[in-house]
Amino acid sequence: MIEAHDLTKRYGTKTAVDGISFTVQPGRVTGFLGPNGAGKSTTMRMVVGLDRPTRGTVTVNGRPYAEHRSPLTQVGALLEAKAVHTGRSARNHLRAIAATHGIGDKRVNEVISMTGLDTVAKRRVGGFSLGMGQRLGIAAALVGDPQTLILDEPVNGLDPEGVLWVRNLVKYLAASEGRTVFLSSHLMSEMAVTADHLIVIGRGKIIADGPVDSVISQATRATVRVRSPQATDLAARLAGPAVTVTPSEDGLMEIHGATAVEIGEIAAKAGFVLHELTPLSGSLEDAYMSLTSESVEYHSAALPGQESVPHGAHAAPPAPTTGPTTGEDAR
Amino acid sequence: MTTAVATEPHRHATATKPYKLSFGHLLRGEWIKFWSVRSTTWTLSIFLIATVGLVSLISLAILNAPSPENGGPPPGQEGTPLDPFAVAVTLAQLAVAVLGCLTITGEYTTGMIRSSLTAAPKRLPVLWSKAIVLVVSVFVVALVAIALAAALQWLFFDSQDFSIDVTDPELVRPLVGTALYLATIALLAYALGALLRHSAAAVATVLGLLLVAPIIFTAIPWKPLTVTSPFLPGLAGQQVTYTDAALEQSAGFSDIGVDLTAWQGYGVLVVWVVLILGTAAVLLKRRDA
Repeated sequence: MIEAHDLTKRYGTKTAVDGISFTVQPGRVTGFLGPNGAGKSTTMRMVVGLDRPTRGTVTVNGRPYAEHRSPLTQVGALLEAKAVHTGRSARNHLRAIAATHGIGDKRVNEVISMTGLDTVAKRRVGGFSLGMGQRLGIAAALVGDPQTLILDEPVNGLDPEGVLWVRNLVKYLAASEGRTVFLSSHLMSEMAVTADHLIVIGRGKIIADGPVDSVISQATRATVRVRSPQATDLAARLAGPAVTVTPSEDGLMEIHGATAVEIGEIAAKAGFVLHELTPLSGSLEDAYMSLTSESVEYHSAALPGQESVPHGAHAAPPAPTTGPTTGEDAR
Repeated sequence: MTTAVATEPHRHATATKPYKLSFGHLLRGEWIKFWSVRSTTWTLSIFLIATVGLVSLISLAILNAPSPENGGPPPGQEGTPLDPFAVAVTLAQLAVAVLGCLTITGEYTTGMIRSSLTAAPKRLPVLWSKAIVLVVSVFVVALVAIALAAALQWLFFDSQDFSIDVTDPELVRPLVGTALYLATIALLAYALGALLRHSAAAVATVLGLLLVAPIIFTAIPWKPLTVTSPFLPGLAGQQVTYTDAALEQSAGFSDIGVDLTAWQGYGVLVVWVVLILGTAAVLLKRRDA
């Protein structure tokens, strides 16, 4: 279990992490989501004591990480690919790390084959591809057989097979073995299928913290697609302060703020013909975009004729940033 | 890299194997790290070859020096069998200095330090264990190099009465002192590396301190420089590589007014190391890694 309280990190005048509090529970995969520069890596580095918090505390299983007698069995961390001496072989790198805790070569060989590094273990790390470096980082994180796993962008650079392997591994460790898994990613689709719980961070503050489903449903408003030959009349009938209607093409519109049931009943009472009535659920991607639209550090410039925020086929409009826990509540 | 993603279930081993971080384990880890990069074998090989080769060549040169009438050294100053060691060490020390720097800066330039400090989050034990592995390794390799050089000198030049009697304590102290000096220079370089965290900066600084500073301090006839020159880490430390007789003799020639004995000189070098390594330790504890 990881518990952060009022965790803050400033670099000079820039505040990277701004008084965040959160708990990462064992037995489930907790995703840590946020745009570049939101403070994900800094937070993870503070958990294992690489960065000293400006203010606040963070503990792992009840103690600061450095206070544990056997840190590598408490936390296995992959914080950046290639925190490895490039002149050393993968195997010797793992042997050296394992040796600090009296972990023998048997376990080293185990994690080498577990991560699929057998064929390259004797090669110097300098020649590794991004994917191999990532596998080595995961191997190093696993070598102490830790209770808690902290992985910063673990699937970055992995081939599809590797992505699937990481996904299954972390789910297995969390669900079947009851370990704590804290995982950051900018790949929202990956997070949707891997994580059970989400912590969303933007500009150093937590903007949502809850089960994946509830984060999605709270951040995206329900959308219903309606097709009707009397679309204009129906829209007039539905109109109200809580309901917005977005006509897309002739006879087709998207309605936010009313459920399919409500719309169907109103249409039946008024005698309107409906050709389609489809509830659209928001995706994690939509939720993420709407949650972080205020807090993206580095905006990419919109191309002419395009919206700056890419919308999916069932795009949700910008929604107010509400979540189970807002930045204010977190403090 | 497309094969073999193991599907073997992850076994929970912590219950059966009580893994623990300890200083002994850290030493073992640093030992593996030290000997598993090529810079270690390269620098130590160069050091070994340079020491042994230079001692033999300089011995040969001294023995073949021209007679005083033909421009050679005056009688009584022809050079002793120990002199080639002093010259060889002045050059060969650069190899161990580079090794000392790279032992720690190599971790900073590659990012390895973050793995090291995650495994040992108290940090300072990493600094100490690495230093111990470095000093012990360099001391042993230096002893081997010196023994080898002395053996070859005896083999080639004993017939000309130009070899070291290793049973003479008067001569053993400078020889062992040379190994000690080299190990301490490696530690000085290591301390600078830990302080500067950058290979090029650390190597440049230590070479400047060992090679350039003595030249500047002794060549410029300005009293504050001349008087402090014996306290430069290289010059002070090398006192322990000379015999007491040689030190007395050079004290007789010198007009600086500061004459450090063998162990006083070595002590000055140790003070340099303690100050720099101490500063590095404080910063290691404070800085973000």
